Amino acid sequence: MTESKLSIVDLTKRYAAGLEPAVDRLNMEVEEGHLVALLGPSGCGKTTTLRMVAGLMDPTAGSIVVDGKEITHTPVNKRGMGMVFQSYALFPHMNVEQNVAFGLEMRQVPKAQQKARVAAALDMVQLGHLGKRQTKELSGGQQQRIALARALVVEPTLLLLDEPLSNLDAKLRETMRTEIRSIQQRTRATTLFVTHDQDEALDMADRIAVMNGGLIEQFGSPTEVYERPRTHFVANFIGQANFLDARVGAETGRANLAGESYYRVEVEGLGQFGAVGSAGLAGTTHELVIRPHRLGVSLAPGPGPAPLAGTIERVSYTGDALAVAVRVGEKLLQAQMPTISGDLPRVGDAAYLSWAPEDAYLLPAPGAVAERLAA
Amino acid sequence: MSEAKVFKPRFNPAKPAFGLLVFLLYLFLLAPLLIVFVVSFAANQYLSFPPEGFTLKWYGMLPQEGTFMEGMKVSLIVAVIVTLIVLALGVPAALALDRFEFKAKAAVQSFFLSPLLIPSIVLALGMVLLFGPLKLTNTYAGIVIGHVAITIPFVIRTTLMSLATTDTSCEAAARILGAGSWTVFRRVTLPIIQPGVIAGGVIAFIVSFDEAVISLFVAESGLPTLPVQVLRYVENSADAAVAALSVILILISLAVVVVVERVMGLRKALR
Repeated sequence: MTESKLSIVDLTKRYAAGLEPAVDRLNMEVEEGHLVALLGPSGCGKTTTLRMVAGLMDPTAGSIVVDGKEITHTPVNKRGMGMVFQSYALFPHMNVEQNVAFGLEMRQVPKAQQKARVAAALDMVQLGHLGKRQTKELSGGQQQRIALARALVVEPTLLLLDEPLSNLDAKLRETMRTEIRSIQQRTRATTLFVTHDQDEALDMADRIAVMNGGLIEQFGSPTEVYERPRTHFVANFIGQANFLDARVGAETGRANLAGESYYRVEVEGLGQFGAVGSAGLAGTTHELVIRPHRLGVSLAPGPGPAPLAGTIERVSYTGDALAVAVRVGEKLLQAQMPTISGDLPRVGDAAYLSWAPEDAYLLPAPGAVAERLAA
Repeated sequence: MSEAKVFKPRFNPAKPAFGLLVFLLYLFLLAPLLIVFVVSFAANQYLSFPPEGFTLKWYGMLPQEGTFMEGMKVSLIVAVIVTLIVLALGVPAALALDRFEFKAKAAVQSFFLSPLLIPSIVLALGMVLLFGPLKLTNTYAGIVIGHVAITIPFVIRTTLMSLATTDTSCEAAARILGAGSWTVFRRVTLPIIQPGVIAGGVIAFIVSFDEAVISLFVAESGLPTLPVQVLRYVENSADAAVAALSVILILISLAVVVVVERVMGLRKALR
């Protein structure tokens, strides 16, 4: 295993004795040059974690190691990090160049070198021409780039981004997403990125730490957390999902090199289907996850193997996709289909659902639901 | 619609009424100043109204009136020292009140603001009783301590107002970029809250310069400030030299406010 750039070991933050910890024995390894997203709903502890890594907050317990050196109790101004805040936090009384030069000044870099590095950093964010401007005169996107330049110009050991895009409007957010990612890849700055936006995390990150209640629910690549969610929370938080309680029957074959198997599963009220999951699940009860856009919908019974017949209960049209909610017995399943020119399905129409076994995934960790069924 | 509706502004009686009200309010506020101004140029032998003729002799008298010059010196020295001390105490106090959570925070806050609520005559009496045994009566130290007590609420208020609107993440950003606490304060916090600090300083200076009751109690006999000298003067003689002095003082205060407003934007600070 390669040496990690950042290791977080059993990091815990308790704001007050008796309160639930905001971050609970969190462990994480971040590789050099990676962009890791801390993703979760508000209050999950992601910002607290970031602030502890930055040194803005003292952990209650645990340690933070960067480049093999423990920095848990290193003062914030000696950690050599770069951080971009949600509010940008540009110094209002300094112009753009002075803002970017601040970190270099603190490091007592010679003036001439400061100038060159500030210019290079501003060019990197394509704002070389605005150096003499006051920060107030700039747009949100420009201010964000200045903040990024200010953080990167010192060649930080870690780049920390605290919801850097949430104050921008939707269009600009997407542009900045691409830009931050490409700058991060060029500079190879190891980056921690706090966000509550799953699209941002999926798009930008090398690894995603999905957080909930002060814990990491899953740490993995974007495809892993999306395709192979470990828990109900992850599947629900990232993308949309249908959840069905399934009794796992016999293993029907090996699915792939990752050691996953095909199973016959039985869902109460719907019948028997094929599904995929980790080895050794036969005879247990697990939750089945099916993404809406992997659920095939046809308006006429097709030739396929016994599709589920149901009734369309809700239709929502977003231009490029059509989301339908289909009632099958007691279950309401969300499905997505590409829009077609011509007649759209209407509420009350019959619909037939089917899916490929590899698109129905058995969650490995028994959720609360499975435990209740087992009891 | 066939007919286009033309909007005709109608005569609104509220407008001139409001103008009149504002005019009367200003008149009410400024009338004493205007009268002092007029009287200072009046040839009347005693302080009285209306004026009987024009003269500049009251202004001519001022430089020769040693007690005024002496009082002016004392008042200026006191006001400058008070301003420096009150800023050195008030700004950190405001920072602590804004940034830290501690027990009895509300109590500390009210303690700092309490001199505004207590009649200054009560404060002054207390100070005399306290300063006597401490040998602080009739000293600069005594007057300065008294004035610091009554001006600190202003500095804390204006600084707190500035702090309330600042983004603390600026300070966090500076720390992460390598600045120590003192550097953060000097390079980031202070420049950001500067308008409030300056406004507090100006108010403290003017209040101290203007203060009569505490100065009178604490140092009447030994170290009279200008307001004390003015009181004494009016007790003994009733000519308009006092009016001339008042006009000069008003102009000085005005000059301070105008300069600060031009340089720093006091209006922004007091908002």
